[in-house]
Order: sequence, then structure tokens, then C-alpha cells
Amino acid sequence: MSKEQYPDEILQSLEDYNIDIKDFLPGHGKGAKLLLDFNKISGVEEMKGVVLKGREIENGIVADVIIKEGAVIEEPVHLCFGVKKQSGIQQIFPRIIAEDNSEVTVRAHCSFPNADGLVHKMFGHFYIGNNCKFTYSETHYHGEKSGALVAPVSYMYIGENSIYENNFNLTQGTPGRVKIMLDIYAMKNSVIRSNIKAFGKGKGDSIRIRDSVFLEGENARSVIKMKAAAKDGGEVLMYGITEGNAKYCNGHVECQEIVLGKGSTCRARPFIRAIDSTSTVSHEASLGRFPQKWLDELQAKGLSEEEATDILVEAMLKEE
Amino acid sequence: MLLELKNVTVPTFDREHIIVEDISFGVKEGSIHAIIGPNGSGKSSLAYAIMGLHTYQLSQGKIFFEGKNITELGVTERAQLGITLAWQEPARIDGLSVLKYLSLGMKDKANIKEQAIDALKTVNLDPEKYINRYIDESLSGGERKRIELAATIAMRPKLIILDEPDSGLDMIVIEDFLNIFNKIRKLKMTILLITHREDIGMVADYGTLLWQGKALITDEFAEVMLRFCAKAGLKEFCKRTLFQNEKTCFGEDYIDKIFEEERNS
Ligand SMILES: Nc1ncnc2c1ncn2[C@@H]1O[C@H](COP(=O)(O)OP(=O)(O)O)[C@@H](O)[C@H]1O
Ligand SMILES: [Mg+2]
Repeated sequence: MSKEQYPDEILQSLEDYNIDIKDFLPGHGKGAKLLLDFNKISGVEEMKGVVLKGREIENGIVADVIIKEGAVIEEPVHLCFGVKKQSGIQQIFPRIIAEDNSEVTVRAHCSFPNADGLVHKMFGHFYIGNNCKFTYSETHYHGEKSGALVAPVSYMYIGENSIYENNFNLTQGTPGRVKIMLDIYAMKNSVIRSNIKAFGKGKGDSIRIRDSVFLEGENARSVIKMKAAAKDGGEVLMYGITEGNAKYCNGHVECQEIVLGKGSTCRARPFIRAIDSTSTVSHEASLGRFPQKWLDELQAKGLSEEEATDILVEAMLKEE
Repeated sequence: MLLELKNVTVPTFDREHIIVEDISFGVKEGSIHAIIGPNGSGKSSLAYAIMGLHTYQLSQGKIFFEGKNITELGVTERAQLGITLAWQEPARIDGLSVLKYLSLGMKDKANIKEQAIDALKTVNLDPEKYINRYIDESLSGGERKRIELAATIAMRPKLIILDEPDSGLDMIVIEDFLNIFNKIRKLKMTILLITHREDIGMVADYGTLLWQGKALITDEFAEVMLRFCAKAGLKEFCKRTLFQNEKTCFGEDYIDKIFEEERNS
């Protein structure tokens, strides 16, 4: 497949997001990849140790990703869910399995540069085996119009001694209405890190995220970090849930938010519970404006208050 | 005069107390002008008032910059006219890269990286080591302050207010400072140097002595320092440094006279 067969607009929007599109144009880059043009699979490339299968269904696809036992995959696996249309329904059913002792990074790019009433739904199942290192990063871009209605629901099972990192980014463009539900079940000795970043920019933007981690195995550990900003009437609600349901578990939830302009709402709620006295679950939350001194320092460099605020939001939401 | 203060009084934000009162002095274009005074004398507050911070508004007096009355202007507007301030304790901000920070005030948005490299070199930091770092807690106090200074230099302002550039540095190497000041001078920027240290002040051409919220004298720096030493009782230091300084060469009897005057006042 050549570049011409994948919509330019989607590629451009990814480039604007500092993503090197060469990485996942079929025939380029070394990594395995699956490209979706709305509800049509427009390219699949597997590689040794990575099985990728897509099947088109009404209004969407089923995507299977299997990382074979013991496979250590250097190049990230790219899943590109692009839509250049303004509206319509795209439903994705990813089924992701990482067999024991495997290591991989999966990057999902949800790029909808012209979205205006588009609906994107996802119903994902992740099964991560024992002794794995698995990173899943999902970056969204919903264009500059009214954004999209995005509703992903995922269940993730993380096996013993595995390290699982989950990253979700929705910080550029107009988000629209976003509802994310994530349940992560962590087995013995596993380590979970979940980082969520979102920026609601106007009246039409509503972002609701519920990120839950259930520490089900002994000595499982987790850190949820949620960072959000809302401005000019945007709304961001985030729930960080952590339960310590086994011995010697350790969980932490951190929420950081900035509210700017009239009518904006940001709410971060940590819900934590430990049923065993040997387990600890803690939380930390900060909500508010940037310190005046920070604004003064940037304004003394000639920036307006608004420019200074944008720089600070950008810094806060920067990928770590 | 590049900057001129006329009868400036700065109260606390609640207007209950006066921090500095009836301050008048001018800063000549191209000069290094020191404001010297002990801790708590109001130096930082005066700097904030010149920068136009909302919480340090004048209750009396006027500030002129290049002959224009800027008393009513906000921070951004003053910065755009060419005034900037390097804070005594600049903030640490996660996620803000040194490169981005240095670029904020650049007028020319082309060749940002080259300009940033130049600015880092000016403050004697190795560009390669710093340009991709963040202005967060990973920097030492001294590194952060040098980067602050670099960021103000990168703006190419007409006036830089330096609030205690030496404070919080792990080790103060006077030669290093002199070297940086000379480089800034070559870039044709005027410096308002705030310090409570006599030795740092020695780079200045002129000075104003601030004492308990009042400006006691404005003169050539050596003269101002002599008064400062007299007030602070630093006779030995005064004799040693002022004798060594070829610019001034006060006679011992003159120094004794000033100290005597001070004792009697
Ligand atoms: N915002 C403020 N509110 C109340 N008092 C202040 C404020 N800022 C400064 N002051 C007081 O004014 C005096 C001068 O402070 P400052 O300008 O920081 O002095 P310096 O920089 O010379 O050490 C101090 O007594 C300080 O406590
Ligand atoms: Mg001070």
C-alpha cells in the first residue's frame, strides 16, 4: 500500500501531533501496524511475534492483536483509527492479548481531523499474561470543529509480575464529548501506571473519565495520575478509583487540575479503599489556578495573561 | 534617563503599610545601576513596582521609561516596551523545557535554538547540557537563576532588573559575575542591579542606597557604597575595597569623615 491509499488529511493531523507517520505507513517503518480508514481496513502489516487481524463489521471493526509468548518487540505496534468524515459511527472492538514473558508498546492514534458530530465507540479487552512489560498509549485528536462523541470502555487483566503502563492523551484540538471507562485488574506482584491527560476548551467540551484499578493480587502496586485543565466553559470530571483487595498492596491516585475562565468545571475525585490492613492506598489532589507568581514571571517576558496560561497548561499536560 | 522614578511610594496590597516611600532616582541608559540595601529594606518590592506587578501598585508618584509615563501600564505592556525582571527566586515549572522558556520573550521567532544557545553561553552554561532539560526541581538554585538570566537576555530588553542575582548560588565566583555583566553590557542593555552585597555591587557605575524603605542617596556607586558601609559599620571592608578600586581612590580621611557624619546623624 502506498501513502496515497491512506487519507492525507488524517496523516497530516498526525504529523501536526508530532507523530512520525513514516512509522506506520505500510511499507515503511519496521513496526507492525493496522490502519483503519473510517470502517474500512486499509492496511495491515504483521511481524514476527505480532499477530494482527482485522475484521470489518457493520459500523466498525474487530481488531485482534496477539503478542506471542516471549516476544520482545522493539518497534511500537501502531493502531491507527482515522476518520476523515465529519460524522458517522465508528465502533472498534479491540481484543489484545500479550502472552507470557512478552514486551511491547502499542500506540493507538485516534485522529478525527474533521470531526463534527462523529461517534467513536470502543469496547476493548486486554489480557496481559505473566512477566510481561506492556505499554498502551492512546492519543486523540478530534479536530477544531465541535469534536466527537467518544466513548471507550476497556477491561484490562494484568498477570503476575507484569508491568502495565496506560497513557491517554486528549490535549490538543476540540475534544467534544468524551466518556472513558477503564477497569484494570492487577494480579500478584504486578505494577500498574496509568496516566491520563485531558483539556476541555469550550462550552461544548465535556470530558468524563473513570479510571479504576483493582489490586487483586498480593503485592500489586499502582499509581494513577490524572491531569486536566478546563477553560472557557469546558467541563472535565475525573474519577480515580483504586481498591486494595489483597495483602501488601499499594496504590496511589494523584489528580491535578486547573480551571480557567468563566463557567469551566474541573472535578477530580479519588475513590480509594483498602480491605486489608497490610495494604495502603493514598491520594493527593490539587485544584485551582496557576500561582500568580508564575503568571507574573511569564508576563514579564512579554506574554499576555492568556498566552502565559496556555504555556502553563501545555507544560502541565506535557507527556512525561 | 532610561528609567525615572518620581516620588514613588509603594504600599502593601491591602494598603495598610508602606513598603517604600517617596523614592526618586534615574537610571542612565547603558549603565549598571545598583540598588543596595540590607534585607527587608524594600528592594524587591521596588523592583516589582517597576515591573508593574498588580500587587505592588503605587499609591503615589510616577514611573517614566524612555520619557513615557508607564505608571498605569501592566506587566505585559511594560515587558513589551523593553523592561524585564529576573526574579530573586524564579519558579520551578514541571514540563516547561529550558528551550521553550528561553524562547518565550524572543522577538525574532526564527532561529530560536541558535538564540537560546547564545543566551546560555552568555550566562556561562554549557548549551548542550541544558537546552533539553526542564526548569523543574532537577536544576540547582544556581542553575535555575542562570537560566532566568539567560531568558531575560534572550528577550533583548532595554532594561533588565536583576533581583539579587547572586543569592542562592552554591558558590559565588565574583569573576564569573563580572564576566557575565560585561557580556550583557556589550549587548547594550541597561541593568538595574539589586543586591545587599557590597562586593557584587562593585560592578555598578551608579547606585541608590535604600534604607528602611527610603532612598538615601543616588550617586556614583563608590559614593553610595561608602554611605552603605558607614550605615552598616563596615569600615575595614570599606577601606580595603574602596582603596583598591582605581575608579574611586577615596582618601582615608574622607572615609573617616563620612563614618563620623553617620555616627552623629
Ligand atoms: N506583599 C507584601 N505584603 C506585606 N508586606 C510586604 C509585602 N512585600 C514586602 N513586604 C514587606 O516589605 C518589606 C520589604 O520587603 P522586600 O521588598 O522583600 O525587601 P528586600 O528585597 O529589600 O529584602 C519587608 O518588611 C516585607 O516583609
Ligand atoms: Mg529581596
